[in-house]
Amino acid sequence: MINEHHSTPSCVDVGVNMTAAVLARTTRRAKILLLGNILPIEDNPVRMAEQIAMADLISGGRVLSGFVRGVGIETWWSNSNPIHNRERFEECHDLILKCWTEPGPFRWEGQHYHFRHVNPWCLPLQRPHPPIWIPGTASPETALWAGRRGYTYVPFLVPFEIARELFEFYRQGAAEAGRTVTDDNLGFLICAVTADTKEKALEAGRHFVWRMGPTLRGPVDFFAPVGMRSRAGAQFALKARPRSLSTMSYEELLDGHFIVAGTPDEVVDRFARVRRELGVGHLLLEAQESRMDHPTTMRSIELMGAKVIPAMAGV
Amino acid sequence: MATPREETISVGGIDVHAWIGGQGHPLLVLHGAGGNRGFTRWMRQVGEHFTVWAPTHPGFGRSADAEWMDGIDDLARFHLWFIEKAGLGRPHVLGHSIGGWTAADMATMSPGSIDKLVLVAPAGLKPETGEILDVFYHSPAELLPMTVHDPKTIPEWNELYGRPPTPAEQEIALRNREMTARLTWKPYMHDPQLAHFLPRVGNPALVVWGREDRIVPVVCGEQYRTLLPRARLAVLERCGHLPPIEQPDEFARLGIEFLEAS
Repeated sequence: MINEHHSTPSCVDVGVNMTAAVLARTTRRAKILLLGNILPIEDNPVRMAEQIAMADLISGGRVLSGFVRGVGIETWWSNSNPIHNRERFEECHDLILKCWTEPGPFRWEGQHYHFRHVNPWCLPLQRPHPPIWIPGTASPETALWAGRRGYTYVPFLVPFEIARELFEFYRQGAAEAGRTVTDDNLGFLICAVTADTKEKALEAGRHFVWRMGPTLRGPVDFFAPVGMRSRAGAQFALKARPRSLSTMSYEELLDGHFIVAGTPDEVVDRFARVRRELGVGHLLLEAQESRMDHPTTMRSIELMGAKVIPAMAGV
Repeated sequence: MATPREETISVGGIDVHAWIGGQGHPLLVLHGAGGNRGFTRWMRQVGEHFTVWAPTHPGFGRSADAEWMDGIDDLARFHLWFIEKAGLGRPHVLGHSIGGWTAADMATMSPGSIDKLVLVAPAGLKPETGEILDVFYHSPAELLPMTVHDPKTIPEWNELYGRPPTPAEQEIALRNREMTARLTWKPYMHDPQLAHFLPRVGNPALVVWGREDRIVPVVCGEQYRTLLPRARLAVLERCGHLPPIEQPDEFARLGIEFLEAS
């Protein structure tokens, strides 16, 4: 899983499609989850459709195409009006899907995007298009929207009860569209590290605190520009995180499952609990953070592959 | 001055809330990003000489939404329409901050629809030096002290800002901020075309600025004066971005004197 942000130390991958193209050549079997392309700040959805298609082609059809609304920082970075964030997200998505699924040339005269001649020749290998994934941190509208379309929906950095509520919105959207919700539709993203001893794992896990705190420190209007959230979304966000993660201690972050750190057995227990609590079919790991060193990170990934993931198959 | 009244005037299907009061030649007053504060002290004084029409812009306060609007030029065309619908004839127009920008834009579109023009710390031009403060970068609580020079000298400070806002007032403040973002996000608080059209405006114009304006630099006042053929610039000392609130008596005196001069 790779993601993209701009003007923030919390993620310096500035081009998810560029990284996808690299991974397409350095990996052979793994799915490449882009989580994802930031739609509202994109001025040319046709180019974005082409680039994702090209990554899918190079990888032999291994791309999972995530779409995101971006965080406040990207609004400043791109100077894109936050008032239009959701409208642009939806229209950009609609145009990308049309590029992938309908033969051109066609014209697109939308509200935010205007193209007189759309006719991409580079199309995804996966037909009709790569699976689409949508992360969520607080907006009920996004969960409903993803549910209506049957996309895989992945909450992140929220307590279990809030994730369950977001899944309810997802189910509501799915029901409206007459869709059945499967395990494949629901995921959860979690910061997790394992090590040979509990002490080492707990020490490594502390690095995740950095992304909950210092990288989010700043004026609230910088992180949540005016208009980016609807009234309903803002109220839900307040309920979802009555306390900012940056005010929580490491122990509280561990208790709340915002961070998982332990021996492989302990991590299996934690992940099994996530599965029981949320009934998700996909668990995504944020496996490295800030100054977590390379050997620690590689050992964690090795143990996840050798012990945790096989054990989870039986859960 | 008699007690002002409130009216709702429908323009292009949008219900516009307006304060109306005073007597004499009509004066259209266009508020800034902070919203329509109604008949404050300066307006009561001006109302002794003019009939003040103070509509709330669409998307602000108690006026209806206009989510299709995209820039100050839309608001300018809208208020030219408002002048017709309200039957104001050829009013004087006074605008503050983004309302001043709107007033200037209206004058470039239809100078004959307007009598005299008063622009109070208008946004709209890119400053030759310095920058217009990014108001969206700061919370409203942080902005207020940056907006004025010295709260202690403001006669209506307690009345206007002396208590925390009610939930209804908070909702209106959020609406105002959202609509301001809709209208001014990019290019931020200015229109590169405006400078090319201002020379069309032959109306007598008074440009008023606070020397200590930390939102829109006073150099923009010089630019407006140079670009408008018949403009005079009055700079108030020890005053920030809100001359009508910070120095209401002096501001009203300047305005009345200018508007009454033949």
